[in-house]
Amino acid sequence: MKKNQFIFYVSLLIVILGLLMIADLMIGSVNVFSILNNSQLLDTILYTIRLPKVLTCVLAGSALALCGLLMQTLFRNPLAGPYALGVSSGASLFVAIATMLLTSIQISGLYFFGKSMITLFSMVGAFLVTLIILMISKKNKSSVTVLLVGIMLSQILGALQSLVEFMSSSNALKTFVIWGMGSVSSTTLSDMVIIVPIYVSSIFVAYLMVKSLNAILLNENYAANLGINISMLRIKVILITAILVGVITAFCGPIAFIGISVPIASRLLFKTSHHTHQITFCLLLGACVMVFADLICQLLSAHMMLPINTVTTLIGSPVVMYLLFKSKFNAQ
Amino acid sequence: MIEIKQLEIGYRCKRKQTSVFQGLNASFQSGSLIGLIGDNGVGKSTLLKTLTGYLKPLHGSVLIQGENLESLSFEKKATLISIVTTEKIGGFNLTVYDVVALGRTPYLSMFGKLMPDDIAVIERSLERLGLASLKDTLMEELSDGQRQKVMIAKSLAQETPIILLDEPTAFLDYTSKHKLFEDLKVLSLEEKKLIIVSSHDIDLMQKYMTKALYLKENNLFEVK
Repeated sequence: MKKNQFIFYVSLLIVILGLLMIADLMIGSVNVFSILNNSQLLDTILYTIRLPKVLTCVLAGSALALCGLLMQTLFRNPLAGPYALGVSSGASLFVAIATMLLTSIQISGLYFFGKSMITLFSMVGAFLVTLIILMISKKNKSSVTVLLVGIMLSQILGALQSLVEFMSSSNALKTFVIWGMGSVSSTTLSDMVIIVPIYVSSIFVAYLMVKSLNAILLNENYAANLGINISMLRIKVILITAILVGVITAFCGPIAFIGISVPIASRLLFKTSHHTHQITFCLLLGACVMVFADLICQLLSAHMMLPINTVTTLIGSPVVMYLLFKSKFNAQ
Repeated sequence: MIEIKQLEIGYRCKRKQTSVFQGLNASFQSGSLIGLIGDNGVGKSTLLKTLTGYLKPLHGSVLIQGENLESLSFEKKATLISIVTTEKIGGFNLTVYDVVALGRTPYLSMFGKLMPDDIAVIERSLERLGLASLKDTLMEELSDGQRQKVMIAKSLAQETPIILLDEPTAFLDYTSKHKLFEDLKVLSLEEKKLIIVSSHDIDLMQKYMTKALYLKENNLFEVK
């Protein structure tokens, strides 16, 4: 892709994202224009409620899209993604365990300790599942088999999660069920202290891996012959995926289909294999899709928040189905 | 350039070792085109994989320019040896140009940005294999033979003194096979490269190779 083309697409995506963010800030159960005279109410609605939600959408959408891209490149499998392969389910199970433990020892007063522990547990869950998937994909190269194993893993982890929920107290269960629906509206601006540093450093490391990611598109043997340390690359991708999926799942719940569908859409739209371009496009497109999904939620249900997973699934699953029917991707 | 001493090659699986070939001694010099002939399963591909460093020798050693292959870093190996296999490459929007450009990976910064010198090498490699007109074509839209040529062009772009080709003629028609071997011969002589090729085309091997070697019963016999 030529430099001018890249700059044009990036600018276009930034403009679209900006417009979507403004729309998402303006639209909701309260009309912002009708409360322009009431600055206190305006501040509360814009800065305390809507801004953290829009920022969470941007961070979650872009982070999950990046994870999907990294997984698809590492496995050389266009059907890989954190939700489809059960990584989000692993994070969810561990969040369930953490929620149960934290509720039982009653440390609800220690906000940051609680949030940090849940985030850490979520990362561990995501890490373990990514590791299992990587081991399976090394044994069996078929992308469909890896996807099926991911679906099975999700089912197993879902069953274990039900078991944890069954044993948990009513308080923990309530917290967890609401969280499990996937929501971007429960984060506050102070949560950004945990999310933003992790997000920024992970993206920085991802950009440092561009050369290795490009080379592994050939295959592992060719990449090794081009001087790439494959084991090191695997470790980095697993860690970044686990950390980002972990932190996003801890704060927003398991978000469906963004991770798998955005990198696919990005490849279909922007026709480039270079990872400097693909990482940038996935970050911006992921953010756009997530803010758009939130906007749809707002528009469809003015007084009651529709779970964001409903919309991301409706947007994402047709993309995956399109891919499955498109033989060019060699999904076998 | 390559010196093989008491080499035993094969596969390691946990604690189990499967030996394919043992006690191999040989040396290959730069500026020569070496052919490897042998029955299926005799160990031609395993030998090439061992010479590239994909597989570790079970015993013995491989010396490249006097240095033990196993002691070389990933980056150093990538500037000394390149390989072309029969594995299919494609998908993920990879075009012919992208794949050949990946040959420059060992010389690029971590962001993978191509400099004018790199672009010149890529263009030259594409020209040499007659792929210039196909440079924007997606890999999956190419025939098997064309795809094979792209991987050879990638190998040229890698600018290594040693090139290993595992059955490069497998998907080529008769004319293309002759053309490829002619090109490899010229390349080995003009650029003083050591090129080792495994193939089943004995007649072509005898015609173009500096030396054609037959692998059998743990030994290399020169085919006269």
